[in-house]
Amino acid sequence: MATSSARLLKLALPLVPEHGFTRAALARSVLHLPTPHVAPLSDRAVSSLFGSGDRARKTLFRAWLDGGVESMQGARPASVKEALHARLAYNEPALPHLPEAFALLSAPESGMPPFDPMPALKHAARVADEACYLSADQSLRLAWYAKRASLIGVYSAAELHQLTSPQSAHAFLDGLLTTSSTIDSSVEDVRLFSSYIFRSWAGIIKSKGIL
Amino acid sequence: MQRAPRCLRLALPRVQRVNRLARCINTQPDTPSNPTPRTTSFGFKTVPEEAKESLVKNVFDSVASSYDLMNDASSLGVHRLWKDTLVSTLRPGKKGPLRCIDVAGGTGDIALRILDHAREKYADRETTVEVVDINGQMLKEGFRRFKKTMYHNTPQISFHEANAQELPATQFTDNTYDLYTIAFGIRNCTSIPDVLKEAYRVLKPGGTFACLEFSRVNNPLLSLAYDQYSFTMIPLLGTILAGDRASYQYLVESIRKFPPQPEFASMIREAGFTTGKDVDGGAWTDLWGGIACIHTAVKI
Repeated sequence: MATSSARLLKLALPLVPEHGFTRAALARSVLHLPTPHVAPLSDRAVSSLFGSGDRARKTLFRAWLDGGVESMQGARPASVKEALHARLAYNEPALPHLPEAFALLSAPESGMPPFDPMPALKHAARVADEACYLSADQSLRLAWYAKRASLIGVYSAAELHQLTSPQSAHAFLDGLLTTSSTIDSSVEDVRLFSSYIFRSWAGIIKSKGIL
Repeated sequence: MQRAPRCLRLALPRVQRVNRLARCINTQPDTPSNPTPRTTSFGFKTVPEEAKESLVKNVFDSVASSYDLMNDASSLGVHRLWKDTLVSTLRPGKKGPLRCIDVAGGTGDIALRILDHAREKYADRETTVEVVDINGQMLKEGFRRFKKTMYHNTPQISFHEANAQELPATQFTDNTYDLYTIAFGIRNCTSIPDVLKEAYRVLKPGGTFACLEFSRVNNPLLSLAYDQYSFTMIPLLGTILAGDRASYQYLVESIRKFPPQPEFASMIREAGFTTGKDVDGGAWTDLWGGIACIHTAVKI
C-alpha cells in the first residue's frame, strides 16, 4: 500500500523536538518507515508532498497542532482544567521551537497584512472548544459562547506564559481558571441581582398603572 | 506518375486518417466494462485501442517539425511559461546532480530547461537527462535542437526511442532516476495507468514524478471564456496555420477528455505514488486557473 503524506507527517512529529518545525524533520520522516529509506527525502520531494518553502513547515506545524487536540482526547480529562493541562503538557517537548512556529503561522504568505492573528486565535478557540467538549460542557446559547470566549483568553494567556516561564505555566493556568470561575460567578451574581431589580421595577410600574 | 501524398492524412485510409495534432489524442479507455473490442477516445470520438499507438507514432513523424508551432498556437505561447514554472518548481541541481528522465519529451523542451536551470542557478554540469519519446522524428527534432547547445555530445543528454507504457527494463532499469517528467504527453498515451506504473518502476525511492498537462478550469467565468476561445479560436488558428481545422478541433476535445485534477491525482496514487492533499497547492498546482496543471508525486 502506498504511504500517504499524512502518515509521513505523523512520523515527522516525534522528530520535532530535535529538528524543530523544519523541512529537515519532514525529510527524515522516511527514515522511520517500517521499511526505512537509506537517505532523507530530497528537498524537491518535500516540496511535492508538503508544499514549497515555508508552506511545508506550516503543514508540519498544523499537523502538530492537530496532534495536540488528539493528545487532549487521549488524556481522557474529566474537567476543562485537566484538558487544558494535558494540552500544555503536549507543548513541553517542543517548547524551544514554538515561538518561531507561531510567528511562522502568523506570517501571511502574501505579506499583507504583516501580521495575521487569526491562526493563533483559531488554535486557541479549537483548544477551548475541545476542552469544553471533553468535559461534557452543557452550556447553551449565550453561555456557550461566554464559556469558550473565557477559555480562549485563559488558554492563550497560559500558553504565552509557558513560552517564557515553562516551570510555572501549570500553576499560572490554575490561577487563571480560578480567577475566571470567580469572574463567572460574580457576573452570574450581577446578572441575577439585575434581574431582581428589573422585576421589582416592572412590578412597581405595573402597580402605578403606567403599563 | 502518381504524386506522393502531401501529408500522412492523405496517405492513410479513411479509418486511419488522423490529424496532424494526434499528439493531443486522448487515449484513455472509455469504459472498463467494455472489453471487446477495446476502444479509446480520439478527441470526442471512439476508435479501436490497438490502432492508437501506431497512429500516434506515424502522425508524429509528419508533425515533428511544426510541433513547437502547434504548441505556441494552441496556448498563445504560454506553454513556455508553464514549462519554465515546472522546471523552476523542481529546482534541478539545487542539492547536487540528478539523473532525470523526460518522457514524451522528443523536442527536448523540458530537458533543455532542466539542464539550463541546473547550470545557470547551481553551476551544476553533472545533472543528466534522458529524453524518451515513442516517435523517432520528434527525437530527431530534439537532437537537432540540442546540437545548437553546449550539451551536444556530452553525457548530460541522451535520446531514446521507447514507449512510455513499456519502457524496456534492460535499458530503463528499476529504481534508477531521481526525477521523472512528462509534459503535455501523458494524455496521448493509450493507457495512463501503465505510464504511471512505469514511472513508479524507474524512479528511485524518494524520486519525484512531475507531470505538466492541460487540465480542468474550475472558475465558471474563466471556463466560459476558455471554452469560447478553445472551440472557436483554436480551430481557426488551425485553419490559418496548418490548413487543418479538424486537427485543432481534436486538440481541444482531447484536453476536455483528460481527467480533472482530483481524478488524475487519484490515478497517480493508485500507481503507488504518494501525493500531497487533493487541493490546489497540494497534489497539484493549477496554472492559469487550471488551464494547465502540474501534478507532483513522490515514490516512497
